[in-house]
Amino acid sequence: MTLKISDDILRSVEKPSRYIGNEWNSVHKDANNVDIRFAFCFPDVYEVGMSHLGMKILYHLLNERDDIFCERVFAPWVDMEQRMRENNLPLFAMESHDTIKDFDFIGFTLQYEMSYTNIINMLDLAGVPILSADRSEGYPLVCAGGPCAYNPEPLADVIDFFMLGEGEEIVNEVMNVYKSCKNEGVSRKDFLNRIVNIEGVYVPAFYNAEYNSDGTVQDVKPVEDVYPSTIKKRIIKDLDEIYFPDKVIVPYAGIVHDRIMLEVFRGCTRGCRFCQAGFIYRPVREKSPKRLLELAKKLEDSTGYEEISLTSLSTSDYTELGHLTDELIKEMEQRKVNLALPSLRVDSFSLNLMEKAQKVRKSGLTFAPEAGTQRLRNVINKGVTEDNLLNSVELAFNGGWSSVKLYFMIGLPTETYEDLDGIAELAKKVVNKYMGVPKEKRGKGLKITISTSSFVPKPFTPFQWEPQDSIEQLKKKQAYLKEKLKNRFITYNWHEPELSLLEAVFARGDRIIGKVLIKAWEKGCKFDSWAEHFKYEKWMEAFEECGVDPYFYANRKRKHDERFPWDHISVGVTKKFLVAENERAYRQEATPNCRVDCSHCGVAGFGGGICIE
Amino acid sequence: MNSIRAKFIRSEEVKYISHLNLMKAFERAFRRSRIPIAYTEGFNPHPKMVFALPLSVGVTSEAEYGDFGLSEKLSVDEFIRRLNEQLPEGLTIIDAQEKDTKDNIMASIRMASYSINVCCSRAMGINQMNALLSELMSRPAIMVKKQTKRGIKDTDIKPMIHKLELQAGDGVSEHYQCKGNIYTIKSLLDAGSKGNLKPELVVEALNKASEEEIKLVGIHRTELFIEKEKQILRPLIKN
Repeated sequence: MTLKISDDILRSVEKPSRYIGNEWNSVHKDANNVDIRFAFCFPDVYEVGMSHLGMKILYHLLNERDDIFCERVFAPWVDMEQRMRENNLPLFAMESHDTIKDFDFIGFTLQYEMSYTNIINMLDLAGVPILSADRSEGYPLVCAGGPCAYNPEPLADVIDFFMLGEGEEIVNEVMNVYKSCKNEGVSRKDFLNRIVNIEGVYVPAFYNAEYNSDGTVQDVKPVEDVYPSTIKKRIIKDLDEIYFPDKVIVPYAGIVHDRIMLEVFRGCTRGCRFCQAGFIYRPVREKSPKRLLELAKKLEDSTGYEEISLTSLSTSDYTELGHLTDELIKEMEQRKVNLALPSLRVDSFSLNLMEKAQKVRKSGLTFAPEAGTQRLRNVINKGVTEDNLLNSVELAFNGGWSSVKLYFMIGLPTETYEDLDGIAELAKKVVNKYMGVPKEKRGKGLKITISTSSFVPKPFTPFQWEPQDSIEQLKKKQAYLKEKLKNRFITYNWHEPELSLLEAVFARGDRIIGKVLIKAWEKGCKFDSWAEHFKYEKWMEAFEECGVDPYFYANRKRKHDERFPWDHISVGVTKKFLVAENERAYRQEATPNCRVDCSHCGVAGFGGGICIE
Repeated sequence: MNSIRAKFIRSEEVKYISHLNLMKAFERAFRRSRIPIAYTEGFNPHPKMVFALPLSVGVTSEAEYGDFGLSEKLSVDEFIRRLNEQLPEGLTIIDAQEKDTKDNIMASIRMASYSINVCCSRAMGINQMNALLSELMSRPAIMVKKQTKRGIKDTDIKPMIHKLELQAGDGVSEHYQCKGNIYTIKSLLDAGSKGNLKPELVVEALNKASEEEIKLVGIHRTELFIEKEKQILRPLIKN
């Protein structure tokens, strides 16, 4: 069935170009001439989903194959969803406008927990049963990947199979098996049986979750011995050799990151103890400057973008950053293309690089000290000192910058009000640094933005055992900071603690939380990460009706020997190492970054990147 | 500076793109084409291009115009060929000429012609439709609520309508958005900075004047006109 979205509908919704497709470099194929149709779903609106690098990579990677047609699907905004439901228009793919119910695969990328209700909503809009168990032969297979898939349990009843880790190889392996299964006409279950032993594949229906009487997990174990008891994530060993698209879709309407994203490396050497990305993406693997320059030129030729940015977890740790940025600026300046530098680490910030970037364009600067005192920065292993930060802002103010953003976290383990005072004092020291710069040198209109997010304990981090502060505690701390940060140069932003609570529940959730998810969706929850749509009361009703205590998941301190819902998943970093890191945190002991010394986290077992250099 | 004035089509595929995003699409197409487009000076250089008259979202056109500054000389044929290779589906350059004057296309636009498709009940035959149009145009004034710089005001749009007539046809046609009769009205309206009348307002006036509901189905711009030495002309000289 081919759907034509009528002008009547498109005229009546906000930003109709979200639903049109046909952008430059989008891929169109004859659906009758392919073996596999894949709906790559991002559970948020177009502008957000189109900014995601992983989708760009896998979309073009799958479409390189003649036997696969991969299309994009985004969550329709609420106005469009209403019109679709009124007109019985099922969820469609951007390229063909065909309903995705007839596709072979529906694949979701899990980038943040608060997008989960949109997954349920998109399946429902597509006319596909929400629960894996209810999907009979003929329905698409529903799969998922991305960082949140490392704790797949809250979605265990919804997703048919997960692909853990970097997707470039595993997705092709799974597609190959599917192609022969389709030719042979085997059942869904048989297909899942054939992929379950591919490294990185997790089929939740093949595992039973058992619970202790106190509500903690007793075990998640395979129902048959032939299924792997531990599922290990996949990594790409050599990023210079692996596929990277030399073209990306150029959207018409402004998206969040509307520029070329040049992925410089994967992983991070730092090991900040609150940061999940710092552990799940290990080990660090860099692309060579030669490869990056080649990609930058090709991407610029094929897109015509006016801006290119370097992306990775901590870009200033790239070993050849100076060389790379020199070459990039030389090449891009003549093409009238900006080089956008991402938030750089305070300690490796160099005047040199700042000046280079300034030649192209000057914008605000962002620093992330994360905590207000040296004591707490030691606890979280954020190897940044106050001197580092103040020297950097001084350089920036001397260079003509006058807008600075500082990111902090509140509710970190061991935090006291002295640490909050530290945030306010640091902000004031930054103001003083500005005042110390001669008027003719500094930029006009000092603007310091202090943002605090609330600590969310995440799986596979040294803080996975830690409780989150209660909503009341967080609100009290925010009010305290608000008072302390009253200054005409300082703006204070904070995150809604209610949303942070839910993030904490889902981040460390089990299969029981999945039932609350569906209940909340039934009550109308969706687009939870959008403040105007977040319905906290509905969520609390859902917990109540399911008899589930959210505080058990969010605010409870775990013992080191507790079995976690995600313990059958391996990201390479051992639990033993994470326990040791947790203990070091309480002793305020720093752990060196991987370039200085190996801490034997366990990731060396993958045999890639920095571990074997 | 070398400058080229180009005429282009904007069809269905790109009708929901805002004017700002259309300009971005051109800028990116220019960069891909390596046409030596001239850039403005400063921290944030952008290409020197001026478009004639923004098109409302949802409207198609066979006569859009833009003036493009070049930093090096380039033949008109080469300009058209290289730009068309890089323009997304739905945007096509159909004509271009070297521009020898300094006048700015945006400032010189005076009128625009549109084909307006409307839908009404089967009761509205061709004779009734013609009568409605003549009745409307014979009025001393046609008052509608119009967005002006000073808010929404009752405005007489009659002086801004230069032509309003039915295109030949009996109104009976199949259209997925119209269960009744569909008519195409050809119009020539004021356009540009001195006074601009959106065709949507004409449909609104028609609907107000009619007993049967007249519903807008689609608008298509067919030509733009500039004023030069007191004459109303097409923006490109016909060869």
